Amino acid sequence: MNSKVTNRIALSLIVLCAVIMVSTLAALLGYILVKGLTNISWHFLTSESSAFMAGGGIKDQLWNSFYVLIITMILTIPIGTSGGIYLAEYARPGKLTSFIRSCVEVLASLPSIVVGMFGMLIFVNYFGFKFSVLSGALALTVFNLPVIVRVTEDGFRALPLHQKEGGLALGLTHWHTIKTILLPEAFPSILTGIILSAGRVFGESAALLFTAGMSTPNLDFTNWNPASPNSPLNLFRSAETLSVHIWAVNTSGIIPDIQAVANGSSAVLVICVLMFNLLARAVGKMINQKLSGR
Amino acid sequence: MVVQMENKITSFVNSEDVDRPVLINVEDTNIYYGDNHAVKHVNMPIHERSITALIGPSGCGKSTFIRTINRMNDLIPSARCEGKIDYHGINILSPKVDVVKLRTEIGMVFQQPNPFPKSISENIQLPLKFAGIHNKKTLRDVTEKCLKQVGLWEEVKDRLDRSATGLSGGQQQRLCIARALALKPDVILLDEPTSALDPVSSAKIEELLLQLKKDYTIVIVTHNMQQAARIADYTAFFYQGELVEFGTTKTLFTMPEKKSTSDYICGRFG
Ligand SMILES: Nc1ncnc2c1ncn2[C@@H]1O[C@H](COP(=O)(O)OP(=O)(O)O)[C@@H](O)[C@H]1O
Ligand SMILES: [Mg+2]
Repeated sequence: MNSKVTNRIALSLIVLCAVIMVSTLAALLGYILVKGLTNISWHFLTSESSAFMAGGGIKDQLWNSFYVLIITMILTIPIGTSGGIYLAEYARPGKLTSFIRSCVEVLASLPSIVVGMFGMLIFVNYFGFKFSVLSGALALTVFNLPVIVRVTEDGFRALPLHQKEGGLALGLTHWHTIKTILLPEAFPSILTGIILSAGRVFGESAALLFTAGMSTPNLDFTNWNPASPNSPLNLFRSAETLSVHIWAVNTSGIIPDIQAVANGSSAVLVICVLMFNLLARAVGKMINQKLSGR
Repeated sequence: MVVQMENKITSFVNSEDVDRPVLINVEDTNIYYGDNHAVKHVNMPIHERSITALIGPSGCGKSTFIRTINRMNDLIPSARCEGKIDYHGINILSPKVDVVKLRTEIGMVFQQPNPFPKSISENIQLPLKFAGIHNKKTLRDVTEKCLKQVGLWEEVKDRLDRSATGLSGGQQQRLCIARALALKPDVILLDEPTSALDPVSSAKIEELLLQLKKDYTIVIVTHNMQQAARIADYTAFFYQGELVEFGTTKTLFTMPEKKSTSDYICGRFG
C-alpha cells in the first residue's frame, strides 16, 4: 500500500468519525428541542409545577437549579482556585503533592450517584441539614471542586515562565507576582473552565436526588427573607432542581401531561447548558482579544 | 583573513580603560543542575558603573551564571550553588539573603522581551506600587523619567494606557529596561537582550547601555563578540562551564592570554 492510499484511508476515517460525532449531537439536540420547544411557553416557565393536574410549570425548579448552582459556585470557586494555585505555584514536587493530586483525580472521577449517597450520609443525616439547598450544594461541591482545582492549575501551568520571571526579577514577591501578573493572565482560561463546569453542575441530577430532595415547598417570590421556610433564598428548604424534576416526573409522576412536562423541561435544561457553553466561548474570546492589546 | 577579522574587532574596542572599584566579587562559585556541573570554580570581580560582558559559545553556562547573581536560579528546583558572591559585604548565595529585596537592587532583563500584558504605564508602575508608592503624580513622573531614560518617551507618550504587547520587539525590550530602572537598582543584569531584535533596535539598546553605565553597574551576556567589543569595559570568556579568561575588554580582545580565548575571538569555534 503506498503512502497516498494510507493517507486517503486515514483521512476518510477521521472524517467519518467527525461526521458520526456531529450528526449524533445534531440528532440528539434536534430531537430534544423539536419535541420540547412546543411545550415551552411563558406560562410553563413562570408557573408552579402541579402534583395531580395537567398544565403545571417549572418556575420553582428553574429557580432551584440556578440557586443551587450559585451556592455551589460560591463554595467551590474560592477553595478550588486557591487549591489550584497552590498546586501550580507553591507545592514542591514530592510525596505530599502527588498524594494531593491523586486525591483530586479520584474525587473528579467518582460517579455522581456515589457523591449523592455520600452527601446524604454526611450532610443530610450526620450534620442534619435534611434535604436542602445547602446539602445539595455541598454534594455538588465535592463533585465540582476537583474540576475547578484542575482548571486553575492547568491555567497557571500554561503560562509562559518568562512572565513569572519578569515579575520576580523586579523584586515582587511570589504572591504579588501571582496576584498581579499570573492570575489576570490565567483568568480567561480559568473562567472558561468555570463556566463549562457550571453547565455540568446545572444539569446534574444523581448527586442531588438524595441531598437537595425531590420536592419544593410552595415558594413565595415576594418573600426574600432567607430565614422563612417558603422563601426562595432559604438554604435549609428542600429544592427539586430541573433535572431532578425530569427524573421525578418520568419515574413517579401521576400528572396526566408527563410527556409534555418532561419534554419541555429537557428542552429548557439543554438550552441552559448550551448557553453556558456558548457563554464560555464568548467570554474567553472577548478577554483574549482585550488582553492581546490594541 | 583571521588577521583582518582581528583588526576589525579591535578597531571597535571601547577605549575607556578606567579601573573602577569592585562592587560584586565572585569567589570560587560552582553551580549544578542535579549532577550537571554547569559552572565551575568561577572567580571574577564586577566593577562598579561599568559594563561587564560575559561571552562564550552557547551552553557554556553564561545564563546560569548571570541568573545566579540575583538568585533567579532559585526558580529551578534542580539548581544548586556553592561558593560566595560578595556584594556590600554580604554573600548573595547565602540562604539568609532576602531575595525579594536583593532583586530590587539587582534587576534583570531577559533575552525574550517580556512586558506584562498590561498598559505601558502599568508595566513601569507595578514595581513602584508594590514598593508602596501610590501618589499619582510621583507615579506619572517616574514613568516619564524611566521612559525618557530608555529613549521611549517620544514614541509612546500618547499611548501610555495602551497594551505593551502592541509595541515592536525593540520597544518592548526598552520598556523592560525602563521597568527595571523604576526602582533605581544598583546593578542591571541582561541576558542576551538584543539577540531577539533587529540590528537597528540592537544598536539603540547598545547606545542606551553606554548611557546607563554612568549610573548603573551593568552585566551583559552576549554571544555577539562585536557587541562585547563595542560596549563592554570588562569581558569574561566562559568555555564549558569554566571562566577561561577575564580582563579589560581591550586586553582580552587584543592580547588574550589563553589560546582558546583567541580562537573564540577569531571565530575559530563557537
Ligand atoms: N533549567 C535547566 N535545567 C537543567 N540544566 C540546565 C538548565 N538550564 C541550563 N542547563 C544546563 O546548564 C548548562 C549551561 O547552560 P546555559 O547557562 O543556559 O548556557 P548559555 O547561556 O551559555 O548558553 C548546559 O549544559 C545546560 O544544558
Ligand atoms: Mg543563555
